[in-house]
Amino acid sequence: MTVYLVGFICAFLVFTAIVAAEAEDILSSVITLSVFGVLLAILFALFRAPDVALTQAIINSGLVTSLFLVAYSQTEKRREFDSDRKDDLK
Amino acid sequence: MEMMFLGYGSAIAVFCIGIYTIVTKKNLFKTVVGLSLMEGGVLLFMVTSGFVPGGGAPLLPLGPGGSVNPLPHSFTLTAIVIGASDVALALAFIIKIHRHYGTVDIDKIRGLRG
Amino acid sequence: MRFLRSRLPAAALCLCLGWWLWRGLFFSCCELDGPAAHYVANTASETGASNIVSAILFDYRGFDTLGEATVIYTTVCGVALMFSRSRFRRSGWGLSFIVRRGLGLVVPFLMLYAFSIVIMGHLTPGGGFQGGAVFATVTILFCIVYGSSFEASRISPKTKETLESSGALVFTLVGLFGLAQGSGFLSNIGAGFPAGSLGSLMSAGSIPLLNFAIAMKVGAGLSTLFYSMVKILEDPVEGPPPEV
Repeated sequence: MTVYLVGFICAFLVFTAIVAAEAEDILSSVITLSVFGVLLAILFALFRAPDVALTQAIINSGLVTSLFLVAYSQTEKRREFDSDRKDDLK
Repeated sequence: MEMMFLGYGSAIAVFCIGIYTIVTKKNLFKTVVGLSLMEGGVLLFMVTSGFVPGGGAPLLPLGPGGSVNPLPHSFTLTAIVIGASDVALALAFIIKIHRHYGTVDIDKIRGLRG
Repeated sequence: MRFLRSRLPAAALCLCLGWWLWRGLFFSCCELDGPAAHYVANTASETGASNIVSAILFDYRGFDTLGEATVIYTTVCGVALMFSRSRFRRSGWGLSFIVRRGLGLVVPFLMLYAFSIVIMGHLTPGGGFQGGAVFATVTILFCIVYGSSFEASRISPKTKETLESSGALVFTLVGLFGLAQGSGFLSNIGAGFPAGSLGSLMSAGSIPLLNFAIAMKVGAGLSTLFYSMVKILEDPVEGPPPEV
């Protein structure tokens, strides 16, 4: 029974990795990387490693995803951002 | 025993997908995503190598089947935290590159030459 | 079809690499031997901790943990150095009133959870790294919910610097204390720390102290890492933000 669960999650993991690699939009890729991290944490828990699963879940979903999103927001093109905000301020 | 086959197989697959991403993609963010995928594959490989079929988690008092190997778990903990740190450093480099060149596309950066 | 053809050499190379790695695997399993068997059998008597992974990280292989703390410190120094003179435009104005009040109610429980993970690191899965990461996540939540400039006014960067450096200093001083007792750097029971009884909160010698030091270092370090990339000054082009 556990073997079927582990097999399903491993297949889902590889599928998520392919989607994160091939997505056109950077935001979709980053969110899919976050899902990849959560699946990896579940897999660590199934392999009897509770310390590692806790660390992976916290660091991947809390820190790595927010660092990616901060870097993505700091590298947007400047012109369209300014014109968007000026329309909101009117 | 089949769990170890599945674990090793998916770790190698994810590692190869990470290398493919770093080699073929043009956006610098995709390079960092590929680096993160490679690190995930290596972590899964390390945890699978320490698995003992029938064993329980390495917490005292132990269950009836003994415990899994706790040494790879400590290496994996170190690797997770260091992996997050080097992804942060790579993203800081990307922000600096964007401020200098105005783009994060590798082909355009190679063409600009400072 | 052209899509496939341009990616074909790289995909073929990666498939060959994967096949080669699979062929080179060596399955050795089904019983523990070497240092792992010694650690599993002797943790209770030699260290007094219930969590074998914590005992390995902070007692048997404590020097590697000091090296890892140095790696985190170096990364934080590097990122803060790169952005020391930068001005960024504002990246977030915060969320609505309901979310702010809700977070204000939830934050004490989050801090309590982080503290409990750190303090009970030698009994249950957890320890310094996990608790420090939860603390850093709470400061990131402040930035998302209250806007980018809120957190700098509550916990100043100077405080985080002091916390991080004092975490590293406490770790080194505990190690030097063991050296001064004649027993070796970072030794636990041999240096005179009380072992206590297995399974109680005050046990395992110097491991709770080291957990606390690592939590301070990792929490303050990762929080500084995030805030170096978000450092906000008032941008003259855009002016003050709109009232929410």
